[in-house]
Amino acid sequence: MNVVAFERKQDNREWSEKELNILVAALGTMAPRTGRKTGRTWETGMTEHGDAQFYLLGPLPEQSCEICISRIGKRYILEDGSGRLLFEHRNLELVTLHAKAAVPSTSWLMVRVITLWCAVRNTIQEKVEPLLVEGEELFVQFVPQLAALA
Amino acid sequence: MKREKQQDVFADRPAANAVPDVKQLRKMAGDWLKLRRADAELSQADLAARLGLKYYTFISQVENGFSRVPTEIMGAWARELGLEPAAFARHLLMYYEPEMHRLLFGAESK
Repeated sequence: MNVVAFERKQDNREWSEKELNILVAALGTMAPRTGRKTGRTWETGMTEHGDAQFYLLGPLPEQSCEICISRIGKRYILEDGSGRLLFEHRNLELVTLHAKAAVPSTSWLMVRVITLWCAVRNTIQEKVEPLLVEGEELFVQFVPQLAALA
Repeated sequence: MKREKQQDVFADRPAANAVPDVKQLRKMAGDWLKLRRADAELSQADLAARLGLKYYTFISQVENGFSRVPTEIMGAWARELGLEPAAFARHLLMYYEPEMHRLLFGAESK
């Protein structure tokens, strides 16, 4: 497998204020710099080629990387702490959305539970309710006949 | 920057008198890995390519001390750096799991 060669039109540099604002707005809420609320914190770094990296770190004592967003050329790369490539795109906001979904958190778990519940409810409405209606119609048809026999 | 062959690349170890925290130890492991890669005259991109990674950003993540070398690619990582996998894993264990390293090899390494 070959490492993808990127165009280097953009200067290799640290995160711009705008980029950092997007990252912190999306992920900073789950990791305030102090890490007081969630135990998470974040740091920035660089590759040896000068590509900016943003690390979302887990709680103490490990403080290991949970999510890493890197900018190579004009592309943003989202990886987890084991180096698994999760997503890549030119739009940082889109990448942070994927990052947010990849980070385990109660609120996201809640969203998933609600989504699952909606899906189950929808399935019941689509598959089970027509059967019940059908049964009801049959009952309505046969009741007068049964009544006549009685 | 290439080291002499006979020089012991596994000689570097955390100072015994200080007790560095997990993060510091991971950073030390990253620095050691960076030196070994330089010895092997490989760039981060070269190493990533040899390990079958699409991007070299994970190599940087590990060398900057934010992640560990995953166990499943530890052997390959060692071989690409021209090191013996068992000695490489044992050396990294000293940073990643110091207590485990002490229990397993404590007597030998002193």
